[in-house]
Amino acid sequence: MIQSVVFQLSRLRLGSCIVPSPQVRCKGYLSRPRLRNPYWNLRKERTNTEDFVTAENQHFVNELVYDKYGTPALIKSIQAHANKFIQTYDPEDGIRPWSPHTRRCGVIARKIGQYPLWLKNGKKVRTTLLQIADNHVIKYMPHEECRPQKNLSRVHNSNQYGCLLVGAESTNPSMLTKEYCGIFRDAGVVPKKNIMRFMVSPDGALAPGTPLNISRFRVGEYVDVRGKTVDHGFQGVVKRHGYKGMPASHGVTKTHRRPGNIGGGGEKGRVWPGTKMPGHMGNRWRVLKGLRIWRTNAKYNVMWVQGSSVPGPTGGLVYIYDTILPLRKLKQAPPFPTFCGEVDTTFEDIWYEQMHKFKDETIIYKCD
Amino acid sequence: MNSARAMSKVWAQQSAFNRIVTFSTKATQHAAAAVSSAGAEPPGEEKTSATPPAAAQPPTPTPTPVRKPIVPSNYRFIYPEFLPDPKVEWRNPIREKLERLDMLDRRRQIDLPEFYVGSIMAVTSSDPHAAGKTSRFVGICINRDRCGLRARFVLRNVIDHQGMEVVYELYDPTIQKVEVLRLEKRLDDNLFYLRDALPEFSTFDENMEAEHLEEGAPVPVNDIKVVLRPRPWLERWERQNLRGVANIDQYIKDKHRKSAEKVQKPWEKYDLMKQYRSTIPEEEQKEVFAEVHTELHSLELQRKRNKRKRTFVKPKQLA
Repeated sequence: MIQSVVFQLSRLRLGSCIVPSPQVRCKGYLSRPRLRNPYWNLRKERTNTEDFVTAENQHFVNELVYDKYGTPALIKSIQAHANKFIQTYDPEDGIRPWSPHTRRCGVIARKIGQYPLWLKNGKKVRTTLLQIADNHVIKYMPHEECRPQKNLSRVHNSNQYGCLLVGAESTNPSMLTKEYCGIFRDAGVVPKKNIMRFMVSPDGALAPGTPLNISRFRVGEYVDVRGKTVDHGFQGVVKRHGYKGMPASHGVTKTHRRPGNIGGGGEKGRVWPGTKMPGHMGNRWRVLKGLRIWRTNAKYNVMWVQGSSVPGPTGGLVYIYDTILPLRKLKQAPPFPTFCGEVDTTFEDIWYEQMHKFKDETIIYKCD
Repeated sequence: MNSARAMSKVWAQQSAFNRIVTFSTKATQHAAAAVSSAGAEPPGEEKTSATPPAAAQPPTPTPTPVRKPIVPSNYRFIYPEFLPDPKVEWRNPIREKLERLDMLDRRRQIDLPEFYVGSIMAVTSSDPHAAGKTSRFVGICINRDRCGLRARFVLRNVIDHQGMEVVYELYDPTIQKVEVLRLEKRLDDNLFYLRDALPEFSTFDENMEAEHLEEGAPVPVNDIKVVLRPRPWLERWERQNLRGVANIDQYIKDKHRKSAEKVQKPWEKYDLMKQYRSTIPEEEQKEVFAEVHTELHSLELQRKRNKRKRTFVKPKQLA
């Protein structure tokens, strides 16, 4: 059957153009790439060749870059460019109707550390600090344009989600390849170090150049944080799965950190799938869901998020989404599709109402 | 040590240079203001250090003299928790800055005095389970660790023939009052060996009066030698080179002595890199304290004023 189809195809091809001997390979359907790389998945860094450019010429090149993209500056303590090209997006953007079924864009952030906060009842909360890193929208692709996977039989995009490209952390474009910089050309945004796509519902679309900052998240809401876990390399069973190992002495030889038995005998005389064994640990994408935002700081774009197990090392990139947990989903309309308007950076931190601010007085329990 | 310091200075300059590569003066000022904890020296200084022969010339136009706050050198012992964890992977200038701001906010609410391991302290804290909803614990500080908002200390006392230890977090908002009843140091960095010592060495009167030190006097070192109980011990004290223990030789045998000798690492005190990695370089310490100095100093002055008021109102014979 397949053979005949292939034969027909080959005949068709022969009819249209001159192909001397079309190769017939069986099982081609197995090696068909399922995943098509997105168009922004390009080589980022340019090979640094020594150009022997004089200092004056270098200065001239820099001047050109700054003329086009603005001078580099520390914006909210992040190295960025004073962006000349931010388009004034529609003021109508803020008043789009929101419903619980719509999906907002996420943001790219960096995990910058963790420290405890206290609740008003004296309980300690461990929090992680996430800093939103100079995010700008690059492009919106509606549902018809963005087809992330070729084989869509299993992944239904029935919600008709579009795709929003967001970049984080401006950088010097002369360090990047020409193709990579081309992604940003139409957006009028300085080329960014990091790009991520977020699936959004069609009315969550944003104009290119829209900045995303902390004001779009409100204290008390929940977020999902996605990141790549710390890479531990190939690890044994004690570190990877928390096995106890065996004693150091008392006649134990050569089996101090080994897993012991890994399977039974008889009918089940084999290693069962899923048995915990040594192997590579970490360096996987993980999502931590339903973390409450305890506190936000608009000056540095920092949010304090519940828990100290956000995936990734300190300084690593994480992606923040509105949570998908049904009981913790957004109930009231957030700034949709994003917060637009001037951010008042002089304003002090916003705390969740149950949080004890450090400026408050000492917690004293009342006698009953 | 000198070489390590020099290296650290070079690093600091490099990092400062990396961070503050800016092309308009305004941005430079902004950067210097924003990332003051990132190892940033003012760019003016950098220039002079980069060109030593030029710096020797007298007519170089000196920039407007920047008034630097004079930070006392003992601040790193008084406020050790303001220095971040030296582990490079965990450091982040913005996190450290936010943490410091929070610490200062808390310090404006509560007087957290100077204390050391070996000082005798009384901590009053809110406790939902205590009668009257507050509890006061008097004891000797046997350990002090962690940094930032996580800073904590351990108090030990013997109450009703039962050794008690309480771990307090310095910035916990349920702490109402921290008093230092006797400000002194001991010979060791931590006093966990009090757990294996005779109980009288960690027994302190709950109604003890605070002893006042003269202003400006150095903190006295109590060179008391503690008498240990016989084995078994909680730790192998003979391996830890303790100076505050009197009778350790009484209980150890030759085999203990030999094994203790085996694990000794006498060369480590010459390991400059180890020392460098486990401490915050002096330049960064200066930046950290330059940021918080004025606030801490004003809090100190306020404390002194309050103390003087108290002493004048109620003069008392000190023990």
